[in-house]
Amino acid sequence: MRKVLFFILVPLFFVGTSNAIGQQNQPDLTDSVAFHDFLIKQNEVPGLSVRFILENKILTDSIPAASLFGFTELTSGGLVSSAFSQLNQFTKLRDTLKLLNPKWEFLIFSQPSSLTASQEYVANLLRNGDIQIVGQSNLSSNDLILLASKLPYKPLAQYKFQVISDYKLFVVTVIIVFFFVMALLMILFMLVFKAKKNKREQLTKDYEFLIVGPLTNLLFEKELDEIKKLSDAEINDIFPATLLSKALFQHVLIDKIIGLNKKMKGDFKNKLKALYQRLELNKVSLGNLKSKQWDRVATGLVQINEMDLIEALSEVKKFTNSPNFYVRSQAVGTLLNLSDKMDLVFLKDQTYPLSAWQQMNYLRIIKFLYQSKELHMKSLFESENQSVRLFGYKLVRLIGLVDFLEDLGKLAPNASDEEKIEIIKTYEVLGAHMQADFVNDCLLSENPKLQQAAAQAIGEIGNKESVTILENLLKSQPEFRLKMILLKSLQNLDSNQFEKFTSIQMDFDTQRIKRHLLDPLLRHV
Amino acid sequence: MKKILIIEDDLLISSMVQYRLKKDGYETILVQDGNEGIKAIEEEDIDLIITDVMMPFKSGIEIIHHARKFKPDVPIIVLSSLGAEEQIVLEAFNLGVADFVPKPFNPNELAVRVRRVLKL
Amino acid sequence: MYNFLFFLILEILGVIFLILSFSVISIYLTIMVLSALEMRDHIRKNHFADYEDIVTSPIAPSVSILAPAFNEGQSIVQNAQSLLSLFYGKFEVIIINDGSKDDTLEQLINAFDLERTSYAYYPEIETKKVRGIYKSQNISYGKLVVIDKENGGKADALNAGINLSEMEILACIDVDCILSSESITRMVRPFMEEANRKVIAVGGVIGIANNCDVQDGTVTKYRIPTTLLGRFQVIEYFRAFLMGRMAWTRINGLMLISGAFGFFKRDVVLAVGGYFPKTVGEDMELLVRMRRYMEERNIPYKVGFIPDPLCWTEVPESEEVLSKQRNRWMRGTIETLQLHRVIRFNPRYGVLGMISYPFWALFEKAAPIIESTGIIYTFILLFIGEFSAIYFFSLLVLMYLLTLLISAFSILYEQISYNNYKDKKDLNRLILTVLVEPILVHPKIIFWGLKGHLDFITGKGGWGKMIRTGFKKAEDRKNLETQSQNS
Repeated sequence: MRKVLFFILVPLFFVGTSNAIGQQNQPDLTDSVAFHDFLIKQNEVPGLSVRFILENKILTDSIPAASLFGFTELTSGGLVSSAFSQLNQFTKLRDTLKLLNPKWEFLIFSQPSSLTASQEYVANLLRNGDIQIVGQSNLSSNDLILLASKLPYKPLAQYKFQVISDYKLFVVTVIIVFFFVMALLMILFMLVFKAKKNKREQLTKDYEFLIVGPLTNLLFEKELDEIKKLSDAEINDIFPATLLSKALFQHVLIDKIIGLNKKMKGDFKNKLKALYQRLELNKVSLGNLKSKQWDRVATGLVQINEMDLIEALSEVKKFTNSPNFYVRSQAVGTLLNLSDKMDLVFLKDQTYPLSAWQQMNYLRIIKFLYQSKELHMKSLFESENQSVRLFGYKLVRLIGLVDFLEDLGKLAPNASDEEKIEIIKTYEVLGAHMQADFVNDCLLSENPKLQQAAAQAIGEIGNKESVTILENLLKSQPEFRLKMILLKSLQNLDSNQFEKFTSIQMDFDTQRIKRHLLDPLLRHV
Repeated sequence: MKKILIIEDDLLISSMVQYRLKKDGYETILVQDGNEGIKAIEEEDIDLIITDVMMPFKSGIEIIHHARKFKPDVPIIVLSSLGAEEQIVLEAFNLGVADFVPKPFNPNELAVRVRRVLKL
Repeated sequence: MYNFLFFLILEILGVIFLILSFSVISIYLTIMVLSALEMRDHIRKNHFADYEDIVTSPIAPSVSILAPAFNEGQSIVQNAQSLLSLFYGKFEVIIINDGSKDDTLEQLINAFDLERTSYAYYPEIETKKVRGIYKSQNISYGKLVVIDKENGGKADALNAGINLSEMEILACIDVDCILSSESITRMVRPFMEEANRKVIAVGGVIGIANNCDVQDGTVTKYRIPTTLLGRFQVIEYFRAFLMGRMAWTRINGLMLISGAFGFFKRDVVLAVGGYFPKTVGEDMELLVRMRRYMEERNIPYKVGFIPDPLCWTEVPESEEVLSKQRNRWMRGTIETLQLHRVIRFNPRYGVLGMISYPFWALFEKAAPIIESTGIIYTFILLFIGEFSAIYFFSLLVLMYLLTLLISAFSILYEQISYNNYKDKKDLNRLILTVLVEPILVHPKIIFWGLKGHLDFITGKGGWGKMIRTGFKKAEDRKNLETQSQNS
């Protein structure tokens, strides 16, 4: 409530004061001297003029500067001057005629009027604001509107200049223009993009329906040789030529054929490949390799790989050292798959570190190929690139290549700790008991990670010495996690010794780890 | 005529399967996702279900669960790109599916298995 | 003299606001472009990713899912079940009962045949007391571990889970989130992809599940929420996830991964000591700390982000709960920025110190203050009469249009990348929401943000009990409480 009152009162205060100021400025015109002074000061009042009257008939010649006054004779016998609207000359002229005792009268719009009438007329003009008092500021707040009507007309051109001169306004304009241009561009882009995408999606669906039926039919009804020998006319019966020449249709068709090829076995695979060649889709795949966009190149490589396009292999080779790793791994995968000469030696020389993603891809291919092809896996161990060497050890473990354990045994003692860990893990999984001594050595390593890996592996491949080492390590108050691994390995190796050891060592940690290890629920973890 | 429900999200594969089974004189119903599959199991009178494992909305496992509940007598053949040693496939076997066909597969081979399962 | 000073301040403020609006516009336009580029790359990469391969490959990393639960008795069993049915090879689900006052633990024990084990729990990170660790006798629930501990807040609960986990990657989630069965496979991809940099964390998009049909852990039918506040959040989440975080990922400047769905490299988390339970913004704080750790050791690293729709959650639609959430977010931001103010404009911290931190300080932390100052400024100009109408309207309309543009864009993004909201009516209502949001909702957000500042200054501790709506019916809301904290 108080706020509301405040808001009402404050403006009222302003209105009140400004009124008072306006009234004070009105000059007093009631007495004739002041009136005259006002007029002289004002000089000009619209419609008001003054003329002099000499009642006595005097020769014009005797009047000083008679030509100035332009006297004419009155019927009554006196002389009357012409009307002056330049009121500031009044005193000067009156003084010139002083000796002749002149009278004067005011004219309002050329009509002789009394002093009072003139005074009223001027007062009226003032009140209505039709004249301004000379020498006084014309910004009295309560007649701004009236003042505005008196402002001379200004053309718009001048306003433009003002926009630039007000720098803030200028900046705002720049921001707005910038914003609108950018926004417009982006909206246009998105709308076009979206419309294109929608159209493409719809077409893809339509094409899919056009492809599925005839393709199924073809695969079941035609033999491999028949597909190879399809005439152009026959193809046009299945897929109209107008469609086959469209890039999107080709794209959908390729996708469908490759998708099906992945899921099919036996005869159907050959039929699909023959059809791919017969429809000349291989040219599309080769065209993809020439693209500047990496994703199209990678797509082309996938197509070559899936469809066994052996003729493209020389092109594929160029991509094995591409800086884009999708392209790189696709190219390598394709070569491993299709080329008789290709083996893993190329990996040895790779300078880029191997990401887990690539390892996953290569592992899949190698798993599929290692039995049917000489891959020279050993070369991986000799690579300068540590990530490649690590991948090599991992391969031995994951594929179960027991033959390579001997090679690992030779290089393990001189390998870096990180590699030792990987090798020890491999020993553990493959049950390489002959390497127990090496792992025993690693148990005493300063590197906690290596020590942990060794402690874990020794549970599977340890020997009699290992038990002693484990017990000694346990007595040296190892960190909790290591202690747990050590105890577990001890339990694995020699459960009697484990029982003996844990019934002597009565410290809290040992006892609860023992309970943990004996808990049947926690065995499967 | 025996009626077979095929639940498979790849249109082309289901079309291949359907074509082959029609040739052998079976009637087929095609559905493309798990939800439709569940609906079909509840509403249609079917003699065999062929289902994929990985699909939109519902996994094959859920479909098998559902089929066991609603149509315990209808045999199920699982068609999957996962290897037979995978956890999910083992789970499917535990639920009592009649057969498992790993992708890549041969439709002719599938037809043989269908015949065998339906004769049992 | 004072008069002069007053007008000088007005003038300076005017210039500041001009610079600010110009930078806001250019920054947001840049963000739009960056996110579009990142989205394009993501879609291209997705094309070549064989996700089925990740599920079975022995090279794929192992994942622990950490789900803290506090008074979740009503839905915990269903949620745990859907977590267990995720599609992945090597993973475990660790549910941490954070001293619930309801029957959360009993529900779990009964549903999964749990039994208390003699697990030797070792608190590498200090936590409140762990009362017991449970596992199932049924082998098919072998992936499930339940920790029962005394209440210590979400961060403390997660820390207990981190201590227990032995996997390479930690997936920290809210237990009431709905996860797509593919979520792990998609989220681990960035961890596997990089060779030259270590990926320390990967964030994901959170979708809004209010009013959607949910069946067995997936959203089957998308519908927009019924309330304005709900719809506002749909748009806000689009903006934040599809535009903001995508753009930040592009320049590797991401500072926040949502606590409801974030994947972290366990060794780095352990190295920095896990979550910090004394802050209300534990998710942001952890990531900033992990980034600092990497920067300080000069190890090349990356924080990834996957824009695929994989996780959904119910957002609060009542003003009361939402205001508490926003208040808490603001305090979390302030606290994190306060805790890590060393990195501000520190070139040693690269993008993090020179771009991310200042951006957060200016556009997230100080936004409510700047915006309310702007309004006060405008009123002062109005009041003293030294005010140009062109100014006021151009700036105001401009900012309004900018919001419209960004929001409209994020909806377009959603349409292009997922196209989940297929109903035309839904779309129209979303667009309507975009139009009214700056007028009807934004001022509230500003106000709550200011209150967050105030609460931070006055040192108000304790968390508002955040009530989240359950899934089935509106009535379920009343007695559902989730991870509310009193740390």
